[in-house]
Amino acid sequence: MRLSFRTRHPWPVFLIRRLGRFVVSLAVVVTASFAMVHALPGDPVRGALGLMAPPETIAATRERLGLNDPLWRQYLDYLWNLLHLDLGTSLETQTPVGEKMAQLVPATLQLGLTAFVVCLAVAIPVGLLLGIATRDGRGRGLHFGFGGVTGLALSVPDYLVAVGLVFVFAVSLEALPVAGLSGPASFVLPVTALVVGPAAYLARIVRAETQRVLGEDYIRAARAKRLPARLIYLRHALPNTLTPTLTVSGMILASMVAGTVLVENVFAWPGVGAELVHSVLAKDYPVVQAVALFFGAGILLINLAVDIAIAVIDPRSTIKES
Amino acid sequence: MSWSRTRHHLLSPLGVVTVVLLLLLVATAVVAPLLLGDRATEIAGGALQAGPSVAHPFGTDALGRDVLARTLVATRLSLVLALLVVGIGVACGLIIGTVPVVLGRRAGRAVVAGLNLMVAFPGLLLALFLAMIFGVGARGAVLSMAIAFAPSFARLTHTTASGVANADYVSAARLLRVPRWRILTRHVVPNISEPLVVNATSQVGAALLSISALSYIGFGVQPPQYDWGRMLADGLPAIYTNPAAALAPSIMIVVAGLAFVLAGELLTQVLGGSQHGHLRIPSLRSPRRDPAPAETPPPGDEVLRLERLTVTVPGETAPFSPVVDVSMRLRRGEIVGLVGESGSGKSLTAMAAAQLTSYPNVAEADVHRIKGNELRRMRPRDRERLLGTSLAMVFQDPMSSLNPTLKVGRQLAEVAETHERLGRRDAWRRAVDRLSAVLITDPEARAKQYPMAFSGGMRQRASIAMGLMAQPALIVADEPTTALDVTVQKEVLGLLRRISRETGAAVLLISHDIAVVAENASRVLVMYAGRVVEELPVSGLAEAAHPYTRALIASIPDMSTDRSRPLANIPGRPPHASDLPLGCAFAPRCGRADDRCRQARPELADSGGGGAVACWHPLLPALESEA
Amino acid sequence: MLELRDIVVRYGHGQGAVTAVDEVSLTVAAGSIVGLVGESGSGKSTLARAAVGLAPLTSGTILWKGAALDAHGSPPLQYVFQDPYASLNPRMSVGASIAEGLPRASGRRERPARVTELLEMVRLDPGDVHKRPRQLSGGQRQRVAIARALAAEPEVLIADEITSALDVSVQGAVLNLLKEIQTRTGVGILFISHNLAVVRYMADSIAVMKSGRLVEHGTTEDVIERSEHPYTKQLLEAIPTVTMGQGVVGSNPVVPTA
Repeated sequence: MRLSFRTRHPWPVFLIRRLGRFVVSLAVVVTASFAMVHALPGDPVRGALGLMAPPETIAATRERLGLNDPLWRQYLDYLWNLLHLDLGTSLETQTPVGEKMAQLVPATLQLGLTAFVVCLAVAIPVGLLLGIATRDGRGRGLHFGFGGVTGLALSVPDYLVAVGLVFVFAVSLEALPVAGLSGPASFVLPVTALVVGPAAYLARIVRAETQRVLGEDYIRAARAKRLPARLIYLRHALPNTLTPTLTVSGMILASMVAGTVLVENVFAWPGVGAELVHSVLAKDYPVVQAVALFFGAGILLINLAVDIAIAVIDPRSTIKES
Repeated sequence: MSWSRTRHHLLSPLGVVTVVLLLLLVATAVVAPLLLGDRATEIAGGALQAGPSVAHPFGTDALGRDVLARTLVATRLSLVLALLVVGIGVACGLIIGTVPVVLGRRAGRAVVAGLNLMVAFPGLLLALFLAMIFGVGARGAVLSMAIAFAPSFARLTHTTASGVANADYVSAARLLRVPRWRILTRHVVPNISEPLVVNATSQVGAALLSISALSYIGFGVQPPQYDWGRMLADGLPAIYTNPAAALAPSIMIVVAGLAFVLAGELLTQVLGGSQHGHLRIPSLRSPRRDPAPAETPPPGDEVLRLERLTVTVPGETAPFSPVVDVSMRLRRGEIVGLVGESGSGKSLTAMAAAQLTSYPNVAEADVHRIKGNELRRMRPRDRERLLGTSLAMVFQDPMSSLNPTLKVGRQLAEVAETHERLGRRDAWRRAVDRLSAVLITDPEARAKQYPMAFSGGMRQRASIAMGLMAQPALIVADEPTTALDVTVQKEVLGLLRRISRETGAAVLLISHDIAVVAENASRVLVMYAGRVVEELPVSGLAEAAHPYTRALIASIPDMSTDRSRPLANIPGRPPHASDLPLGCAFAPRCGRADDRCRQARPELADSGGGGAVACWHPLLPALESEA
Repeated sequence: MLELRDIVVRYGHGQGAVTAVDEVSLTVAAGSIVGLVGESGSGKSTLARAAVGLAPLTSGTILWKGAALDAHGSPPLQYVFQDPYASLNPRMSVGASIAEGLPRASGRRERPARVTELLEMVRLDPGDVHKRPRQLSGGQRQRVAIARALAAEPEVLIADEITSALDVSVQGAVLNLLKEIQTRTGVGILFISHNLAVVRYMADSIAVMKSGRLVEHGTTEDVIERSEHPYTKQLLEAIPTVTMGQGVVGSNPVVPTA
């Protein structure tokens, strides 16, 4: 059989395809954020400035925002401005959206990434150890206990964990700061609130994967070679659990991004999420568009990073993907 | 699904808790607004944001209304909104999910790509942006949440449906020209509805949480209407004065969410039927006879000696033994075949012989010696070393017995690194050498490749090479060629024979195919229902004494089978090891069986000609013409 | 009779394309059993699937009695799948599965009787009619699948590796059944297997496929005893036999001395 270009060079083919998909997805996100404004019922400017705004102000704002231009023109302008990192002006505060985002984004990234790292650091070892302890149906008590605890953690949403934490630590014990970003201590509660659910989910996945992998033939073969337990688990089992673990980690990071919206609200965290809620309610659509782009592009980047990481770790996936 | 099984699941702790929770929720949703509706909106003067008291167990809110009453009354709106979200989401999801099937390949692929993109975004985030378009309020929140939920349900529908649509039974129905709508209603829908119903049920819980979240941040229900999320938003600012005002709706959200998640799990169990969970795990039977005293020193050329091996596995009512009292002895350079049909216990025997029986199965033997060493008397470290260097395994499926994430050379080299403390480079060099010994061309390059670059036959040769990293005295080959094509099978078996001849390794060759064994082994053990029923030299196969061995040989068509006569076969099927007949396990399928066979089990006894047979009425060579 | 002419099945396009079946022509006459033998990846199953429309045809023609297949009415071709665990709908009873194959013209009253008749034909207990597939053994399931195919009263039956998922002791019974049905009903059979010995037993003529191509085709006697293609000879040599050669390869007589 003649080998095709694809099988001889899996890497370039994979990268080109995957980057292509990223660009297309990004284009969809950009277009969606542009289209969002035009899907609004009624006049967005009037909606933002309120019914009492004088018609001249509205007309001027519409003119300034280019809303009177033909749609294709507006779209091209939007793209052009984006390329120059110009995100427009807030309708509410009349300040450039870019400046606002520059203040908010670091706070959200700090929160989200800390939570993500904590989540991985807790969930992967716990899942792996439990997977080993419950392999082949061993340790039934442990199995059910773990299922119950993680099940409970999964059914309490992050914003309620946040409320509970506020109540216990800040109100009852007065031990930790409840609101705002002020030093390392202020991270504890928001990060915990964000981590509980995703960590439970990830630990479940890692455990199930570990169990599955430990039942595979190649693990039996490794045992037949009488390798020490350390090598069997770390060299033979762990790498094979990584692909699904990474996939789920990507989903978790994405859901944490969404979780920041609510958790930032509970803890009055000065980030993008809190701003999103505010700007949607204020109908400050240039800000909403910028936030949508931030979240959209962020999630696409996460997925891209996960796929590339999987391809690096798992030699099978590049060909499968392409 | 039978009613008794359903009842069994409903009466389990999970079932009872779930049903009680759901009933309570529904009852509250129906009754609370009728009984407490007035009390919930009544503004009690003077007691604003008061803490818990007798009159107001959870205190009052900012307008002095009773928090408990409001929480209970809000059940209806919260549940109704969640159900609406799932209802609309499921409807949209079903339509979008089935569109790719209808649209044809290209357009379908575009829809699927779109779905994949949508699913990458968390539903709540999508809903937040959609809320801007639909406007704040209960209606907007429900629509946004439903639309945000639809893509994931659509994708689930699509993957399940296309899985079923590609199933052989649907192809069969298409070939029978069963009308399209009947294929849909009788084949596709019944087989996809189960996962979809389960998913939709647990999604009600998720929808409840999300709608509450939207209400909480002010996108959802607007005053004067209120659901739990709205109440949480109102209660949270006052958490220092009356925490109960925020905690009461929080608790309800969690309980309701949990109820639907549990309902999803319960449905999975009832519909899917979890087979596990009721198995009785075998325990080591209390002190079995000590290792046989070293009566006779083992002969110098003995490689494997197993005496009365029994393997016990978990069963539904009690543990049972699919392998009973199997004994065997292999000498240097000897190839012994172990033959049996599926379920005969031959693979469990192979695993036990290699000391690879894994929990929860338990293997016990009176004697288990390898190269003269009684394994049960050895310290674990010495035993692992002995087994690691003198025992090699070849598994059935070469596609799955090599680790896909490690280079082939690495998987070979680690054996020498572990057991002989060889350095990385030396171990690698030996790995390359062994690969060339099993006739893999360009072994240097091949060693650096991952198993996926190997063909099936090459992989099997690589796993044999893995066994050759040390100096194996015994190779246990469990159906080594079943997954391979005949031409490749011949190569692999030839390789095993060559190794045995050149290195003096004994081979235990397990196969369902008596012809494979006949061509390669010198001696054969025939297993049926967990026991060895006959042991004989290969040269004696044609005159086997056990009716089962004879029938097994006769049932394999070969190149000299008479085409004008029906093929021989064995009526009935082998008994299950947990439900063996009283007497000879083969009696129900045996033409020679009489009452004695049905009453008492024959033991393995000398059959003359160097063999042994467990049969009351063995076929004797002299009787052959008659039989 | 069924005529496959210059069948090509190609998957993918451009450089990544894989040709599963490459210009294969084969004829199955009514009342005959044609054996199709080859190893995994030889394209034998793809060819059969293409014949009934389960695999996309890249080029070539399928003729039924000299004309194109009629998409309406009672289908003249039926297919029995390899895996009896996947080819029966787990939610349909044995009876319902078989009844699905009955011609729609058959009256409601006659159906149960016809199902019973078919169950008897494949040597199953007519009392099994209400059982679900999971209550049956592999061999029994395969009989149900055969009965379902026969219900449509096909003129050609394609049997794709129908015994490879079964134990040897059961295989014989299924093969005997198929042969008996063939004699009784005169249905033509395209019998596909990787096992040359089984094909030899079943078929009147044998076609050998390798890498998508038909390398040899002739009467069973010709192909087995006077095989021309080296690959056929290789296949013949590879078959293990119980005709005791005491473990020395090549010493066992493969070709029976006729």
